Amino acid sequence: MKIKVKLIGPLIYEAGFSEKDIEVPAGTTADALLDLIAIPKQRPKIMTRNGKAVAPQELLQDGDKISVSPIYSGG
Amino acid sequence: MYGWTGNILRVNLTNKTFKKESFGEEFAHKWVGGRGFAVKILYDEVKPGTDPLGPDNKFIAALGPIAGIPAPNTGKCVVAAKSPLTGFYGDGNLGTRVSEHLRKAGYDALIVEGKADRPTMLYIQDDKVEFLPADEVWGQGTYATNDWIYGKYGVGVGVLNIGQGGENMNRYAVVRSLEGRAGGRPGMGAVMGSKLLKAIVVKGTHPIPQADPKAMKALGTGDLKKVHEIDLETGWSKQSTTGVLSFCNEVAGLPVRNFRKTQHPESWKIDGERLNEARVATYGCPNCTMRCGITIHDREGRESELDYENIGLLGANLEIFDLAQVGCLNYLCDEYGLDTMSTGCVLSFYADAIDHGATSGDFRFGDAERAKHLIRMAAHREGKVGNLLADGSLRMARAFGHSSEAYAMQVKGLEVAAYNCKFIPGQALAFGVAPIGAHHREAWIITYEIKHTTRESYGPEKAAKVIELQRIRGGMFEFLVACRFPWIELGWGLDNYPKYFNTVTSLNWTLDDMWNTADRIYSMIKLNYLREYPNTTRNADYPPAVWFDPSNADKEGPIAGKVLEVDKYDSLLQHYYDLRGYDNRGIPTKATLKQLGLDQEAAQAERFATLT
Repeated sequence: MKIKVKLIGPLIYEAGFSEKDIEVPAGTTADALLDLIAIPKQRPKIMTRNGKAVAPQELLQDGDKISVSPIYSGG
Repeated sequence: MYGWTGNILRVNLTNKTFKKESFGEEFAHKWVGGRGFAVKILYDEVKPGTDPLGPDNKFIAALGPIAGIPAPNTGKCVVAAKSPLTGFYGDGNLGTRVSEHLRKAGYDALIVEGKADRPTMLYIQDDKVEFLPADEVWGQGTYATNDWIYGKYGVGVGVLNIGQGGENMNRYAVVRSLEGRAGGRPGMGAVMGSKLLKAIVVKGTHPIPQADPKAMKALGTGDLKKVHEIDLETGWSKQSTTGVLSFCNEVAGLPVRNFRKTQHPESWKIDGERLNEARVATYGCPNCTMRCGITIHDREGRESELDYENIGLLGANLEIFDLAQVGCLNYLCDEYGLDTMSTGCVLSFYADAIDHGATSGDFRFGDAERAKHLIRMAAHREGKVGNLLADGSLRMARAFGHSSEAYAMQVKGLEVAAYNCKFIPGQALAFGVAPIGAHHREAWIITYEIKHTTRESYGPEKAAKVIELQRIRGGMFEFLVACRFPWIELGWGLDNYPKYFNTVTSLNWTLDDMWNTADRIYSMIKLNYLREYPNTTRNADYPPAVWFDPSNADKEGPIAGKVLEVDKYDSLLQHYYDLRGYDNRGIPTKATLKQLGLDQEAAQAERFATLT
């Protein structure tokens, strides 16, 4: 299935892209997606699916837009 | 007494006199410094009803025990006065060498009173104070003024100055320093302008008194290096605060079109990635390794220093998605010495009011050229429109009528920072109860709300989180006087700060002592507010009405169909009051004030208003 991934802030430079579509196998969780895009799981972050928070073990769905952001604190 | 110089410098511009006044341990331990000193001094010395732009208002620059000490990130100074924008206590902080120099000159705070008879620059060097003519730079912007000062005294001195905005008493004029620093959103620059005070220059030559300077130097410089290493490791400085724009756009929290929309497909054109690509230089404050000021060349080829609030409110909120043009608007605000956040909200409100027929005019969202013109008019109070814009969005709304106050994006008169809380209840509360008006400095809980709670919740956990953050952000960092960024952006431990404080003072404070002091200072701001607004109600702690308006709900996206709910917001507000020990108007109760050691201040307040 196809997932759109958007990285935010310094994660862009860590993973080498800011936004792209990637193919993932059915049954991929939000947490497992991080391995596919080379973002260390222990890095503090917030992941959203279509603008809403997504938990690590949630299964992704075809067409999801996943964003991965550092934990910003609003300046 | 270590850690404090024990002195305050009082300068009277009317009489051209000055004196060094000392304070003792009791005052130092109760108010600590920075915001604590400022709120106490203004409460005691500026009577309710005083004209904020008259000679009886006082301008304060205040520092804390770790200000100016080599440690993360201590190059900040609090500036405060009765606000011409909100009508009660207002303040802000900015990065400046004044933090180090005023302390080295032998003072923890400066009080400026009266009014000069001509444009004046104060020059303070240790025990010497000079009242110098500043006619040469009156009418000039902050960059030219800064250069003029550096030309006289060299680049190493501490400087606070104003631009044309402050001179013309634009109500959201700020104080500026160094090349890109600004502070005092609620019109602290206008207060300087009202006193014909163009600039304050400080040079200090003595060591800052500390209990154990050697230990502090080793601790502080070591920690500066560690903070720098964390920054390099996480890459935060690649985009600094500007990465927040993409996050806000993803979660429908971006201000677009006077906060009517929460996302925009073109927002990527002004985001942190584009800014980093366009970067021509990076600036920071003294004693800081994080250097969050990213400059780009604006459309006119000038260097313009941008952060998230600038691109959010002068870009997305005005629907201007051209980074070089946003750079121009930001440059003009910096040059004229206007708060970029209030300017963005004032212009967006003006465009929205025209759209909704509340007033007539030729300004439309997306019109960068007209926006530049309007900023100049607001800074110089040119004509009817310039005067209107210079007074801020609440006064504009009252002049326009037609229920436009509902979409004037402000709380207590201070414009909202760049977070669209149409459906972010906890952050809406943070703006509502921010003690000086809708400042993001006091508490910012958006990622907490989205990651650790449900966005729909109006539960007490959100009120508790707002208080926790107020104690840290609006409290400890503002009275010790240091930048919050190492902690908020890099996770630098909070327990480091009592360590710094104890090393310079030889005291043994814990974080709980810090929170107690923070609560005392917040209560003092509330008393200051109450004296000016004795008939206040809890409605003053509500965010703009448009966030509750179902017809303003997003049509699509993550919060489609949702807005804040009045009843639920009110219950969230009540949770906050209950946890704080405030009454149902949002004012500390007598019992709370007593617990915080504010009996005397409470008795003084009761001469003007009722306490419960």
